[in-house]
Order: sequence, then structure tokens, then C-alpha cells
Amino acid sequence: MAHLDVSNVTKRYGDTVAVNDVSFSAKPGRILGLLGPNGAGKTSTIRMITYIAVPDAGTVRYDGRTVGPWSQQRMGYLPEESGLYKRLRVKEQLVYLGTLKGLSEAKAAERADYWLDRFGATDWADLKTEELSKGMQQKVQFIATLLHDPSLLIFDEPFSGLDPINAELLRDIILELRREDRTILFASHRMEQVEQLCDDICLMANGEVVLDGALRDVKQRFGKNTLILEFDGPDTFIDELAGTGRVRVNTRSAHRAELTLADGADARSVLDLALDRTDELYRYERVEPPLNEIFVDTVGEAEARRMQHESVTGTA
Amino acid sequence: MNMSLRKIWLIVRSEYWRRVRSKAFILATLLVPFGFVLVAAAPAALGYLAEQNSSKTVAVVDQTGGQLADSLAAVSDDQLTFRPVSHPTDSVRAAVRAGTYDGYLLLPDSLLTGKGHATYYGMQGGGLTDQIQIEGRVSEVVRQQRLRAANATKGVLSILQSDVSVQNRTIQEVGTGADHTFAYTAIGYVMAFVIYFAVFVYGQYVMQGVIEEKSSRVVEIIVSSVRPFELLMGKVLGIGAMGLTQMVVWAAVVMGVLAGAAPLLALFLDPASLGVPADASSTAVAEAAGLSIPPVPYALLGWFILFFVGGFLLYASLFAAVGSAVEQQQDAQNLLLPVMTPLILPILFLAFVLESPDATTSVVLSLVPFFSPILMMLRAAITSVPVWQMLTALGLLAITFVTMIGLAGRIYRVGILSYGKTPSLREIARWATYR
Repeated sequence: MAHLDVSNVTKRYGDTVAVNDVSFSAKPGRILGLLGPNGAGKTSTIRMITYIAVPDAGTVRYDGRTVGPWSQQRMGYLPEESGLYKRLRVKEQLVYLGTLKGLSEAKAAERADYWLDRFGATDWADLKTEELSKGMQQKVQFIATLLHDPSLLIFDEPFSGLDPINAELLRDIILELRREDRTILFASHRMEQVEQLCDDICLMANGEVVLDGALRDVKQRFGKNTLILEFDGPDTFIDELAGTGRVRVNTRSAHRAELTLADGADARSVLDLALDRTDELYRYERVEPPLNEIFVDTVGEAEARRMQHESVTGTA
Repeated sequence: MNMSLRKIWLIVRSEYWRRVRSKAFILATLLVPFGFVLVAAAPAALGYLAEQNSSKTVAVVDQTGGQLADSLAAVSDDQLTFRPVSHPTDSVRAAVRAGTYDGYLLLPDSLLTGKGHATYYGMQGGGLTDQIQIEGRVSEVVRQQRLRAANATKGVLSILQSDVSVQNRTIQEVGTGADHTFAYTAIGYVMAFVIYFAVFVYGQYVMQGVIEEKSSRVVEIIVSSVRPFELLMGKVLGIGAMGLTQMVVWAAVVMGVLAGAAPLLALFLDPASLGVPADASSTAVAEAAGLSIPPVPYALLGWFILFFVGGFLLYASLFAAVGSAVEQQQDAQNLLLPVMTPLILPILFLAFVLESPDATTSVVLSLVPFFSPILMMLRAAITSVPVWQMLTALGLLAITFVTMIGLAGRIYRVGILSYGKTPSLREIARWATYR
């Protein structure tokens, strides 16, 4: 199993620089989370990795060789918005896509059977794809991604539109692929998914990599600057703290708040104030920041809000 | 096999089978030629049916003494029955209204002296055939009555009664170049238009296929497995093979149906109405009815296939490029202008080339790659075009195709992954320069 290395890659479309001098690498047996809002350059980067597009500068190497038709055969790609041939039957479709990846027809049919069975979808084999529900189609697409036993897997927002049960199934399979030492790239703007699944992260904004490394290291780099409070009684002390600029409020509800300490602010003074103002304080904890806050910290409030908005409204 | 060729082959096969086995394709392929034959045979068949249905009974009110009415009754047949009546006109009129008769014929006293007119009163106007039939029989009967009244001899009567028929025959075998020119002009016309429609229709298929692939978003999965150019080539060749299959089936069915159906149809046709003798062979009847096809030289069919394939490949790649730029068929209209213009132009030149196929202008026009599939085919059919001209036209067509599909491929590659606003032609031209 092999490394994927993206080195100093730049891609322009007309006058627009979609990707600017981007470098990162993905390792076998690990999941790399590619993060960033719309227009950050994620899709453009992925298209260069999948050899759908060619960089204007820099190189993309897999297993030490520049990517090309040869690497497409070893790679499975599930695009963010993707579809299937509506009028082809499920199995026929899978076999066709499998043979385009270099499988023999017999092998493709055999593997299609295996995966259809695995997804409890054997009954669909002879259905036309347009007769399937959206969720069923997504499973078929997922099978198409895995059919040729690729060593490099690229999932672009694989969970969007999946119900919880299928999302769980998909997550299990992604983790299984990771145990099998495959190299996995997972692009998303859903921070909690990335935090749950990924070993490494690469954060992109405006066509550039702004943060990169093992998830744990990245979090440690930001230190324990986050406070979680759970309490009863009045919560006006939070406004007071935010008003003086000592903290920034990440999330807040009637009995719980997650705050980020401003640089140089004294964590103890927050505890003192909370003890003084609330009726009861159940929890006071200093933790590493959630990924979301790291993102806000790195790319700035405006950009982060835009992305959160996207993840809520589902536009991507 | 080379990996790239293997992939193109896989795509060709899939694109071909997917379409060829669809119900729509099978129906169109089988029904269109029957529709064609039906349209060709409809006028004759309908005329025959109309005759069958028009069995009429006509009351005859004879004011000349009854001889005419009896003579008319004697010449009645299945389609037209004359029944002498002696009632007053009013009651006959009522009987016609009641539907007892289809109409009545009033033969006034003055008819025999040549002054009066026979008058037919019907509920409907009656068809032309009926009118001719009635008129013919009345005048025959009246004429005989007058001849008898004038004491004409038996000899005179028999001379007048003998039928005179005129047989129409076209001069065949040697000579009469005019006849050949007409046949080959027709063949040339048909071939030019078939190429025009085939390129247009199958080109649209390619465009639609590209748009479907793009709007269903399956294209991104495909181009992560094959090069966009391989997909483009596979699609164009697969749909081209489908078109060729359809045309071959059509040609075979049309020829088969005509070969089998023409003699059959001829049995139903009235030889007399076509001007051939009553005892003419069914082939001759079919020929006279325009149901036969003139023989086409094999060489011409060979050129036809070459120019169809060349023209299709050239235009299909352009249709594909346009399809890649849009997400819905209707957005393509404006962008199709540069593709449709060179396809329609030769149709405007058809009349000129037909008039003077050997004029320098005609030669030059028929060598232009975008026009040659239509104009060179027309010339090849109607005049003897030197082989070097045919080969030059094909060569130029091939060079243009290679250039255009290269360009189309560059546009296609960018287009299939561009969503959102429909681009302008200028933007599309810029795509070709992307790396």
C-alpha cells in the first residue's frame, strides 16, 4: 500500500486560481480529512489526484509515480455529487464501471455479487437504476467505488443524504478499509464527521492549505484553551465575560456553554465569576478546542460562518 | 490490447447495446420503414378502399319513355345500381331523404334531342369517381338510344362499341438518357437528404447522450476511469454504429417490403386506372404505380456509407462539444448555430449543384469538408465524378474530423465538469486553450 503525495500543486481556470501551491500527503492505513468551505479548492485538488484534471504546476504522485491512467485503475473515487446511468440495470452498471477500471467481466460480476450481498442489495441486481431510491443509488455508487479493490480511496462528502443506518454501515466499511491499510482521503465540511473518522487533517481555504497534520497534533498545538461549563441559574455572567473580551462564545444553551479563552486571559477568573453568579456549577473543564474552533481560529470568523451555514443548509 | 483502445471498445459496446436493445429503438427501427411504405402506398390503397365502400343505388326518373332507364338498369354493377322508378318526383325525393336511394337521376324528355341535361340529385355531393361513373354510363346509354333512333346499321354500332385502350409504356433498355437522369437525380436527392437527416438526428443523439451523462453526474465517475477523449470517441462511435445498424435495417426492410409487397399491392390496383393493360404483370402494375425502386450501383452505396460515416463523425464530435457545455437540451439552441450552419448550407446549394453538377463552383463546394458528405454524394449520383475528387473530398473530411474532434475533445473535457450558467461561445472557445 502506498503514499499519495501532492507537491506544490497549482491549478488555474482562466484568471481564477483554484488551487495555489498546495502540498500534503496521505498515508496507508490512515484517513486524511480534506476540509474547507465551498470554493476552497477541495474538488479541484481531488480532480488532480484522480487525474481528471492536470495541474498547471507541481506534481501529484502515488506510490512514487506521477498519477495517470495507471493510477486511475488503482483508485476509487466517490464524487460529492454523482450519479449513475439511469436506464442501466444495477448489476450491469456495476460490471460496466468495473471493466472500465480494468477488471475482467467475470471478475467484475463476481465482485458486484459480493458487494451487493454485503449491502443486502442482491434483490436489486436486475432493477433499473432509476427505480431505486436515492439512498439505494448511493449504496450502488459506493459499491462501484470499491469494486476493483482500489488501494487509494477518495470520498467526497460520502454521508450527505444517507439515513443514519446507512451512514453507520458506510462508516464501518470506511474503517474496515483503513484497517486493510488502504490510503483514504475524505473530503468534507462537516467538522464532527472529520473529527470522528480522520487521523490526519488538511484544512484548505481560498485555494491554499492553511493547516495540516495529524489531528491530535493539530489539536495539541492549539492547547487547552476551551472551557466547558454546565450550571443552573442565571447565565448573564457569560455576556459579562464576552463583553470584556476575555472569552469568545462557541456554543451556548440555558445550562451549558462552551467558551474559548482569549489569548492571555485567565481561566481561573472565569471559574471565579461562574461560581459567584450561578446557583450551581456542575462542570468546569479545560479541554482542547473542537475542530470547528480551530477552523474559526485559522481562517477567520467570516469564512467559518460561511462554511457552517453551508453545512446547515446542505449546499455544497 | 492497448489499454486505451480496450476502454474505447468497452464504451462503444455499452453505448451501442444500451440503445439498440431499447424498446424505442426497436420500435422505430421496425416501424419507420413500414410507415414509409404505407405513405408510399396509401393513395392507391385508399382509392381502392373508397371504391369498395361506395356502392350506390340511384333511382332513375325517366321522362323520355322508359327505354333509357331500362338500359341503365342493365349496365348496373356492384358499385352503381340504377333502378327505374315511375313515381312522381316528389316521392322519389322523399325516398332519397329516407335513405332508400343514394340519389336520383332525372332524365328529361329533351335529353334525346340533345337539348336537355340529365341531372343527378344526391344527399351528398358525391365523389369525383361517382360523378364520372354516372356521367359515363348515362352518355353511353343516351348515345346508343340516339343511334337506334337514327337507324344506324349494326356495323356502325359495333365499330362504335369496340373499346379503345391506350397503353402507356416507358422506353427502357438503350438510349433515352433523360429517363436515367431522372432516376439518378432522385437517388442523389434521396442520398443527400438521408445523409443530412442522419447526421442531424444521430448528432442530436450524441449531444443528448452527453447531456444526460453530465446532468446525471455519472460523467465524473467515468472520467475517473477513462480519459475524457476516450469517452467522447466511444460515445460517438457507439452511437454511429447504432445509426448505421438502423439505416441498414431500414434499407433492408424497405427493399424487402417493396419487393414482397409491390406485387401484392398490385393485385389490388386497377390496371386500367394506371394506364397499363388489364393483363399486365404485377411488376408492371407496381412500376406504373411508382412502387418500385430503381437499381442503385454498388459503388454508389459504398461511397454513401463512407461519406455518411465521415459526415457523422465530423458533426457528432461538434454536437458532443456543444452538449458538454450545457445541462439541458434547450440551453443548447444558441450554441448549436456554428454546428448547424455548415450542415444546412449545402442544402441551399443543392439546387445549383443539381442544375450544373460539373461546374467549377459545384466541384469546389463538394470538396469542402463540411459540405462534401451531402454535395459530393449528390454529384456522385448524378454525374460521373472522377475518383480523385471523391478521394480528395474524403481525405479532407478525414483531416477535418481529426482536427475537430481534437478541438471538441478539449472543449468536452472542460465542459462535462462545468456546472452552472450556460457559457457563451467565447467562453467555450477559451476552454480549448486550457491545459
